[in-house]
Amino acid sequence: MHVARLKLRDFRNYRKLDAEFVPGFHLILGSNAQGKTNLLEAIYALATLRSFRGVGSAQLVHHGREGFFVGAKIIGTATTEIHFHWSAAGRQLSQNHQAVRRLADYFGTVRAVVFCTEDLQLVKGLARGRRRFMDLILSQTVPNYLTTLQRYVQALRSRNALLKQRTQDTALLASFTRELVDAGTRIMQARAQLLPNLSRHVAAAYSQLAPESELMTMTYEPAVKTDFQTELNRSSAREKVVCTTLVGPHRDDIALNLQGRSAAQFASEGQKRSIAIALKMAQSELLIQSTGVPPILLLDDVMGELDRQRRDGLLPLLARNGEQRGQVFMTCTEENWTHELGRDLHRWQVAGGALKRLP
Amino acid sequence: MTSLPEPMARLMSALASLPGIGPRSAERIGLHLVQAESEMVRSLAQAILESREKIRNCETCGTLTEKQPCLICTDTARDAATLCIVETAVDVISIEKSGTYRGRYHVLGGKLSPLKGIEPEDLRISQLEQRVANASVRELIIALDADVEGDATSHYLAQRLAGRVASITRLAQGLPSGLGLEFADELTLRRAIEGRRNIQ
Repeated sequence: MHVARLKLRDFRNYRKLDAEFVPGFHLILGSNAQGKTNLLEAIYALATLRSFRGVGSAQLVHHGREGFFVGAKIIGTATTEIHFHWSAAGRQLSQNHQAVRRLADYFGTVRAVVFCTEDLQLVKGLARGRRRFMDLILSQTVPNYLTTLQRYVQALRSRNALLKQRTQDTALLASFTRELVDAGTRIMQARAQLLPNLSRHVAAAYSQLAPESELMTMTYEPAVKTDFQTELNRSSAREKVVCTTLVGPHRDDIALNLQGRSAAQFASEGQKRSIAIALKMAQSELLIQSTGVPPILLLDDVMGELDRQRRDGLLPLLARNGEQRGQVFMTCTEENWTHELGRDLHRWQVAGGALKRLP
Repeated sequence: MTSLPEPMARLMSALASLPGIGPRSAERIGLHLVQAESEMVRSLAQAILESREKIRNCETCGTLTEKQPCLICTDTARDAATLCIVETAVDVISIEKSGTYRGRYHVLGGKLSPLKGIEPEDLRISQLEQRVANASVRELIIALDADVEGDATSHYLAQRLAGRVASITRLAQGLPSGLGLEFADELTLRRAIEGRRNIQ
């Protein structure tokens, strides 16, 4: 899949941008605060309708303007023209000049995987980030998963609201518990199925990145060890004290181990960065596996943090994505290692919200 | 721009509070009304007032009715032993349009929602229990939405009324008729597959 044309109006520091891109590897060069990341952010916004920097859409609007526009021609298995306009008054989204009615029908039109410095939190941060990572992959590859997850979240919130009441109606609690168990069990099944596959891809990517070839393993750590309903029954007394649901897939985690030891505790910073990148490479691989089309890879300044050896390991991985009709965008401040990428490299210079093609 | 005359502004803001009518539609309808024949406007106003005054919820089943009890509750041709439990009075109209149901109804007036503070006491559940106790109700058909709250409410009712009637069923969930498989969302398809039946 690739972005053939990108049109930005009042997006971040771009007042007006019209650019055409071919499939392959694109290197976005420029000094700091010129708009390199903003370009990746715009492509990511097409895929998810939000920023990957964890900010609201209002932040994406050019200073002093009312709204932004991102338009693109995306070529995947089909060619799609996308127009996305956002202002405080509302969002307008169209696909091939037809307004999008259900977002569920839109998601999947553009698939992108972003690599950024915050990915490090997948390794050393809270379990919440790792759950979101699993959910993101499953939502994109397993039909029904997102709906099930939404049902689970609603059942969980409802149940927690009931647990906070002073007098408890057991039958009422049981009714929402039933919904929780039903959706939760399906979520755990999907996650348990995903993990071996994900772990295999992560280990493969990691062994390419880390020449010393430490063994990288990932295991699903469900909060529920046996049967969801049974464990809820067992924790019901404690639930009444703390007024919240104590067990369930909302407490799941993934164990990341290097040579059998916790990566968060024992891995070096460099190893952690490599693991974070391997996780994202695995996400891309799983997307190719389930859709047959390589996603657009967006790499925001991740190279600068890797040593020479690890860069050498990563570039062939990326190149593969760049070759098969796919596309890779990578931002970079220095150019001292770009020769490693070979000839098929498209270089762009970003300065003050303008994009210029370099020879 | 000069502002609108006060009565017109009031009319438009009243219209804009109606469901499905935004400020633009309210303005159009308002402008139409103030320029329409006064006889037409008067009869419209009267129709609104009259229907509001005469239409009540049936004390037995909760549907919208002019008479107490409603025509459905008093229709002896309908099966008094079967009750169909729905969320709103509008649902009764939908099921009636299908023309296939010949029992009676019970409108709950909502579904259980801990997040919106709707508890069993806020719904017409005790009235339902009374009806089941007094009359010879044998079958309950639960026709609530298939979302989390609808499903939980259905289960709650089934638990609470278990043993008091011969049968409690829920509407089947599956494919909308006349539509191809490709138009059904994944959850509907899953439920349709789970609820498949033998072809006689």
